[in-house]
Order: sequence, then C-alpha cells, then structure tokens
Amino acid sequence: MMKFDVVVVGAGPAGSAAAYTAAKKGYKVLMIERASEPGAKNVSGAKIRESTIAKVFDTKDLPFERIVKNVRLIFKTRETEAQITVKPTEKLYTISRLKFDKWLAKNAENAGAILITKTVVTGVKGNRVITERGEVEGDKIILAEGANALIAMSLGLRRELKPEETVLGVREIYSSTRDEVAKRFNLQGDEGEIWEVITDHPIPSAGFIYTFKDAVVIGIGSRVDEIIKNKLRPWELLDMFKEPYLELVKGFSLREYSAKIIPEQGFPKFKPCEGNVYVAGDALGLVDPLTFDGIGPAVISGSLAGSAESCESYSKSLYEAKEILKVIRSRPLVHELLKSENLSFYVHLVTDFLTSWAKGDLSELKYLKSKNILGKLVKHLSLGLWVMQ
Amino acid sequence: MRTMKIEERLYTLRYKRDEKPHLEIKDQGTCKKCYEEYGSPCITACPANVYSFSNDGRMIVAYENCVECGTCKIVCPYNNIIWRFPRYGLGMAIRY
Repeated sequence: MMKFDVVVVGAGPAGSAAAYTAAKKGYKVLMIERASEPGAKNVSGAKIRESTIAKVFDTKDLPFERIVKNVRLIFKTRETEAQITVKPTEKLYTISRLKFDKWLAKNAENAGAILITKTVVTGVKGNRVITERGEVEGDKIILAEGANALIAMSLGLRRELKPEETVLGVREIYSSTRDEVAKRFNLQGDEGEIWEVITDHPIPSAGFIYTFKDAVVIGIGSRVDEIIKNKLRPWELLDMFKEPYLELVKGFSLREYSAKIIPEQGFPKFKPCEGNVYVAGDALGLVDPLTFDGIGPAVISGSLAGSAESCESYSKSLYEAKEILKVIRSRPLVHELLKSENLSFYVHLVTDFLTSWAKGDLSELKYLKSKNILGKLVKHLSLGLWVMQ
Repeated sequence: MRTMKIEERLYTLRYKRDEKPHLEIKDQGTCKKCYEEYGSPCITACPANVYSFSNDGRMIVAYENCVECGTCKIVCPYNNIIWRFPRYGLGMAIRY
C-alpha cells in the first residue's frame, strides 16, 4: 500500500491550503479530489480578500476576475430599497472558482504535493484512506471534503446540518463582453463591483450581484427551512430576486446555473480533529454567516490543519485565528438577525430612515417610536460588538 | 426576459452520467407518508428538480440532473435518501 505523511481529502481551498502548507514543510502529501479537475464541482459567488489568501499563498499570479472598487449594500423591502456604497479599504477580488481552485491546487502541486482526481474517498479507518480505486495510508488525514462532509460524519466528528442551520445558495452567471460589463457598471480596466442585498421579501434572504471580467453573477441565499415553509422552488426565488435587476444583464446569455449549501453551524460544535484525522473548511462549517465568505476561513483552517503537530494544537490555533473567530462569533448574531421578524425590522429600519432622510422629514420614522425597539437594538448591538471585538 | 425552465438552466452545466445512481430512495412507502405529513420537502427544496412523483405515486429520482448540493439529504425528515457522490469524477461539473 502507498504510504504518505499526509493524505488530504478534497482539493478545494481548504484542501489545497492544507496540502500546500504540509508539502512546504517537507512532508510527502497526497491530495484526492472527486471531480475531474479541482474546482469543477465547487460553486460560489465568489469574492475573496487578498490579504487572507496572502497569509498562505503567494498571490502575485492569483487569477482574479475584477478588483472590487465599490461594494453596494442594498436593503430591500417589498416597497422600497436603500443603498449604501462602501469603498473597500483593502483589496477584494471577484474570482471564478474553476480558475481559482485550479490555481490553488497548482500551488500545492508545485510545492510537491501529489494530486489525483476523479476519485471518491469512501471511508477512513485508522490511518487507511479507502477510495473507489484502492487504499492509501496516511499518518495524518485531513478531511477538506466540503459542506457535504460524508467522511467526517461517518467518523462521528460532526453530525448532519439541520435545515435551519443551512442556507441554500443558487446563482446564475450571465455573460457578455468585457466592454459591456464595464459600461453597465461604469467600470474602468480591472475595476469591479459587488452588490450585497439584504431583503425580507419574499423570505429573509441575502442576494448578491458580482461582476466578472465578461460576465455578471446573480445569486441568492436563503435558509432551507424558510424555503420549505414557504413552498418556494429555489430557482423561482432567484427569479423573484433578479426581477428588479434584469436591465443589468439585458441581452446577456445565461452561461451557468448552479447551487450550493452554506453551513451556518460548525466548529466548535463540530470536532476539528480526533487522533490523526483533521477537518477543515466547509466540512467544519467555517463559513462567515453574514457575508457567506467560506474561502477565507477554508484557506486559513486548511493551512492550520496542514501544519498542526497535534489535534490539540490545531484546535487551539483555530481559536487564535482572526478569520475563524469571526465566523464563530457571528453565528449568534446572524441566528438572531435571520429570524424573520428581526430581519424585517432592520431592513425596514434602514430603508425608512434613509427614505425619510431623503424626503427631509425624519419625524416620520415610525420604528423609532415603537416601545420595545430599545431592548432589541441593545441585544443585537451587544452581539455585534462581540463580533467586532 | 422570459422565465427559463429549470431544465434549460441545467443544460448550462456539463454532465457525465454515472450509470449507477448516486441517489436512491430507501423506501417508497416512506415517501408517500412524508408527502402526506410534510409535503415532500425534497421536491420543494431541490434546486435541480430531481425529485417528483410519478402518476402511480412512486418517487422518481432524476439523479442525472443533480448538482450535488446535498439539500435533499438535509431536508428529508425520514433520512430516506441514500446520498453518495457520483463515482470516478462523473456527475455535474461547472464551467465557470
């Protein structure tokens, strides 16, 4: 049987970061990917923070789509909407997952890791990794298998997500030409734009619009329990969200439709490791519940798993990483905010405030006059401060 | 812009069909019971329209349309879906 120091299950952001870090330390590393090539089954918006990726990889030839010039935050009710435009203070990129994940895996390979594709890992027993093409041995086994963490669940490191802990994201990519995308969003050169839309209609959701080089990505994420309760088909939900923005992609052609689940539960409820088996990325539920950023925490946790000397030190290092801590701390706040009545409350609060301001009459603000608003604000504000601490 | 059918949207993906279904129903009777009690959440939540009832009341699984997101496995109240990954790199692949 082939023996490796480290066997990594999955060649996404967490897996490639783990393999890259371990290979750089001189370990003999095998990475096993179920898709025909890295990234081919990986779906997201997607945006990344350059400084996070740069903590692990040399980002000078990172294949980005556009550099984000503006982030538009849009609060939307059935009746109206309010927008805030933010200039990012650090470098944000939009990326295509296929190109980006390939680049990450190439980095791991260049550092000495071996990649095999088209292979599903079906089980782990002790230091044996069982695949559909045979077995390999790994002194250390890193499960970076994504949100559907079949192996981590089979080993009892974590349980299945519940519908109320899961967001389903569906997204479409509309393609055109580079010039046309630039024209519609008023962009120069490599500049890009990201729109993040918080809405309570028809159900509490976070929508997004990202610019790629020659395409526009439109997607929406909603909690699975709300989708079921309201009997909405996911693509119909996307169509409802898209409706007011159709002008943006008028004449463009649909290049791709896909979907992905986003875990809103995980470490520390899910065990990060046991014995010689480590879990990282989506498999450990490490997605920022507010921004849906899973790539950053995946790269950081993967790298930590790749370099950890013991289960104990891995666990400790996760708590010390800023990117991971943010995910853990955001969960209680987001859990509160995503309750239908709270999300509605805030979306209305923001839109009412801004529309009243625009009208020049803040005395119309009905929300600020209601009685129990203070308790709600204080509770959420303190949860929010805990996140930012 | 006219509304696109889900099947048209799925055409944008690359599929290589695994002859062996990676999704299976454990027990057809349970699907009937689930429809009556819960209204079949897998049918509602699946973003690829994989699940539907046939005229004779059997749950049909169009696994070859699956985008491998895992939602059905999470929403099934009876844990009645055997959910695996397609073998040997088969199944869905994105282009972007």
